[in-house]
Amino acid sequence: MASLITCPHCGVRPKEEFAIRGDASLVRPAPTASDEAWHDYVYVRTNPRGRTLEHWQHVAGCRRFLVVERDTFTHDVHSVTDGAAFARENGR
Amino acid sequence: MIRDYYNRNALDEKLRGAPRPPGVNHLAIGHRQAVAMVLAVAGEEDSVESLLSSATDFAVRFSAPGEWLVVSENDTPEGLQRRLNALCSGRAHIVDQSEARVLFRLSGPATRRILAKGIGLDLHPTALATGASANALCGHISVNLARTGEDTFELIAPRSLAQSLFDDLMTMGREYDLTAAFAA
Ligand SMILES: [Zn+2]
Repeated sequence: MASLITCPHCGVRPKEEFAIRGDASLVRPAPTASDEAWHDYVYVRTNPRGRTLEHWQHVAGCRRFLVVERDTFTHDVHSVTDGAAFARENGR
Repeated sequence: MIRDYYNRNALDEKLRGAPRPPGVNHLAIGHRQAVAMVLAVAGEEDSVESLLSSATDFAVRFSAPGEWLVVSENDTPEGLQRRLNALCSGRAHIVDQSEARVLFRLSGPATRRILAKGIGLDLHPTALATGASANALCGHISVNLARTGEDTFELIAPRSLAQSLFDDLMTMGREYDLTAAFAA
C-alpha cells in the first residue's frame, strides 16, 4: 500500500497517521431512489485493480477528510485533494 | 474557581524528587502556561490568521485549516481567553485548553535524532523551518509539533496521554542521556 501521503495541509506524512474511510467515487442516491439503488450504494463495492478514489481522514494531523487517488497495483499516489475542495469541484 | 488541574501538572509524579542538573539534551516540561484553541468561523480563516500573526506576545501553532493553538507564557488562562476574544471579535471561537494540554520542550544537539524515533516527519530545517508547526503522530500519540529553533522543538500533548508520551520520549532519548525537569 502507498506508505506516504502528501496532505494538502500538513505535507508528506506516513500512512499510519490516516484512517481509510472507503470509496470516494460513490454518489449518494436521491432519498426517493429505489431500494436497489440504495442497496448498491450502501453495500456493493468493486475491488479494482488499478486507479481508485478513496476517502482518507488525516486523524493524527489536521483531521480533514481527503480524497486520495491511488493505484492498488503499482502503489502510486496520483493526487490528494481536500474533501471539501473535491466536493466543490465535482458539484456535490 | 479552583484551578486544580492547572496547578497540578500531569507529570508531578514522574518528576518528583530533587531535579538533576539538565544535560546537553534536555526535556523541559512547561509549567503554568496558558494554551487556547482558536477555531475560525467559516469564511473568516484568512482574517483570523492575519489577526493572530499580528500579535507578538504569544506563540501561534498551526493545527488544521482554520484551527490554531495559542501558547502564552505571560497570560493566565482567563487573561488569554479574554485577549483572544477581543482580538478576534466574533470571527473565531476560543476554547481554553490550559488544563487539557501539557507542553514538552526538547532541546540539544540530538533532538532531531530523538524525535525521528517516534515522528514520521522530515525534521530537516529545509522541510520544517523554525517557527513552523503541525499536528503529527509521535509513536501512537497525536501531538502538535513546533520547531522553535535549530535544535529545539515543542510538543503539545493531551494531558491524559502526557505520562505515556513522557515515558516514550525518555526511552527515545536514553542513548543520548536525555534529562528531564520542569521548566524554570
Ligand atoms: Zn493533514
